[in-house]
Amino acid sequence: MFSLRRWCLLALSLAGVLVDAKSSTGDSVLVVVDPAQQDNYSIFFNGLKDQGYELTFRSPKVEKPVIIEDNVSNFAHVILLAPEAKNLGKDITPQSIVELLSLKTNVVVALPTKQSPLHALAAEFSLILPPPGSPLISYSPKRDTPSTLIPISVEDHSSPVLTKHIRPVWFSGIPQALGNNPLLIPILRAPAESFASEVTVTSGSAEALVDAAEKGGEGLWAGSSLSAVTGFQATNGARITFVGGAEVFSDELAQKEAEQYVQSGNIDFVKEVAAWTFQENLVLRIEKVEHHLVNGTEPKETYTINDNVEFSAYISKWNPAKGEWQPYSGLKDLQLEFTMLDPFVRTALPPVNGAPGKYSTAFRAPDRHGVFKFVINHKRKGWSFLESSTTVPVVPPRHDGYPRFLSAAWPYYAGAISTSVAFFLFSTIWLAGEARDSKKGKAAKSE
Amino acid sequence: MMSRDRELHVDVDDFALEKPVRLLKTLMYYPLALLLLAVTAQASVLTLKSPRFVVSDSTGNQLRAEPTASPVKLGARESLKITFQVVDKEDEKGVQPHQTFIRFYDESTGEEGIQPVRVTPGGKAKFDLNLSKPPLYLPPTSDKPLKVSLIIGTPNYDPISAQLFDLVLPWSQPAPVHPDEAVFHPRPELQHTFRPEQKVPNKFISLVFSGIAIAPWFVLLGLWSQVAPRATGLFSPSILPFIASLGAFEVLLFTYWVKLRLGDVLLYGGILGVVTVFTGRRALSSIAAKRTQ
Repeated sequence: MFSLRRWCLLALSLAGVLVDAKSSTGDSVLVVVDPAQQDNYSIFFNGLKDQGYELTFRSPKVEKPVIIEDNVSNFAHVILLAPEAKNLGKDITPQSIVELLSLKTNVVVALPTKQSPLHALAAEFSLILPPPGSPLISYSPKRDTPSTLIPISVEDHSSPVLTKHIRPVWFSGIPQALGNNPLLIPILRAPAESFASEVTVTSGSAEALVDAAEKGGEGLWAGSSLSAVTGFQATNGARITFVGGAEVFSDELAQKEAEQYVQSGNIDFVKEVAAWTFQENLVLRIEKVEHHLVNGTEPKETYTINDNVEFSAYISKWNPAKGEWQPYSGLKDLQLEFTMLDPFVRTALPPVNGAPGKYSTAFRAPDRHGVFKFVINHKRKGWSFLESSTTVPVVPPRHDGYPRFLSAAWPYYAGAISTSVAFFLFSTIWLAGEARDSKKGKAAKSE
Repeated sequence: MMSRDRELHVDVDDFALEKPVRLLKTLMYYPLALLLLAVTAQASVLTLKSPRFVVSDSTGNQLRAEPTASPVKLGARESLKITFQVVDKEDEKGVQPHQTFIRFYDESTGEEGIQPVRVTPGGKAKFDLNLSKPPLYLPPTSDKPLKVSLIIGTPNYDPISAQLFDLVLPWSQPAPVHPDEAVFHPRPELQHTFRPEQKVPNKFISLVFSGIAIAPWFVLLGLWSQVAPRATGLFSPSILPFIASLGAFEVLLFTYWVKLRLGDVLLYGGILGVVTVFTGRRALSSIAAKRTQ
């Protein structure tokens, strides 16, 4: 039957998770984990189950259930928690994991310290891993645990992914050096005094470090520019997180004290990582866009140059607690571009007071005619990408769209109106006037 | 050596003094040693022995030989040498730590560079930063100072992580930025420069020329005051409708100019034309009849 320890763990997990948080893309999760190790992560898995996810467990040696069948992904999210496994099955290869992302399935990957195909996967995402067998080591702060088990303190707002305060996190695993890719989002940075090296310190270890650094390139993995847990958001919105080691998820580290009488923040940290990766937090979408003339309501087929056009976008954010999309007015730096090959106009799209989720601005259409696009391209680290493009033609004024009754034309108006009036008067006088007496004239002549 | 204006000059012989005085100088110039003094109760503690810090220019002249509170400025051809020995505090034996790093950190940008220092098995360490051949580990620099700190760690000993001094290096190229990085931040606003509004000439000039255009009317009115035209048959029922239709045509023309469109005006013009045909025939035939009488 369940041991006391198991009951305590269960109680702890239930006490910690009373909030039901749902993902915006689905609830089915596949967990690839060694069945012998599965109980080590029970707090994490029970936390996910309490939030409403359906977990399916799969051993690395078994090939069912298959993740991708007929170009469709069978699960909404995947967790790969088996770093010691030499191969994870025929259908889990770096290429298939990249294909999972293109099918909009989110992935959490625990990286192994030994050489494995997952190193090639990390390289796909511009992450540079240290040589196999060199985990992250730190001798400070002074503590009783081995040098490979490092407490990392998390500053508030150090990463957009962590939305609440996290107590210090126990970490054990390999660091990742970040390439120059703006889609990478470091979630937990390595401490400044840490570095990657072999665990057993021999007389040649110090020399090896110096030689590795002098070799150039990425010879030395050290310092706070390394990242212990890194997230990556692909251009289609799918998210993948690389965690340096699977121990971050373990029960043992979750219950260990990080500082005097302060429990470690591992549970909160892995919950935040899962919440971000499984599209619960920081998920936005554009509901609809509208455009019309400033004083009108209906969108016009074509606009004329120099028209005053008003553009509005409605944006909502996924609320994981309620499980629904809600209008969101918190974007302060949303921008709108009006482009034809190059942006002609780029203005801020501020939120409208009183209409939640509505962002609106008005501007004057440029002098040039052509086919323009209203483009919203909002990318910020950690948040979903907002992209929208509405094509609209802009035409020159019609023959009667030009300004009329100009003061420069007064002489011409005067002349034309004079002509009309003169014609009317002349015809009136001719028609109505008395005819000259031609008889009299004839008579005068004949006389 | 000649001492220059604002550079301090310390005699090298200072460091050859007796051990207590040397230790005292170490305490004055290296705050980390003060730190270690406070923690005397710890068991395995490392300390630095005979630390030396020298800034020299390309010809080997020493420019500065001790770090003070103000930032150390390093010019483009100068070099910085730091030497010390790591010893166990208890028995003064040299220790080769696993990790002896010098860390350069720019607080304003968050860029960091770390370089391991080569330490002999006896604990003697030598670090050389020569700016004529700038090394790759230096972070991109601007006029903000870099914080230089020393990190020492090894199993079984307390770790050391101590701020040394601030370092100001010459400007370097900024860190390379991915071409898409700009999209992840608000971009500069763009406004279209419109063609300038067409200039309309002075209204007074328009008025003058309008006046010239209608000047003949005044002449006409003047002449008419002398020879008045007679419109006797104006209101006879055969002629008036025709005059009215001609007037209606003029009104139609004016209305077309103001607001109508071609389709409408052709419609109204067609109706009016039919009416005018009849009224015109009647009017002109009545005039012709009057003439032949």
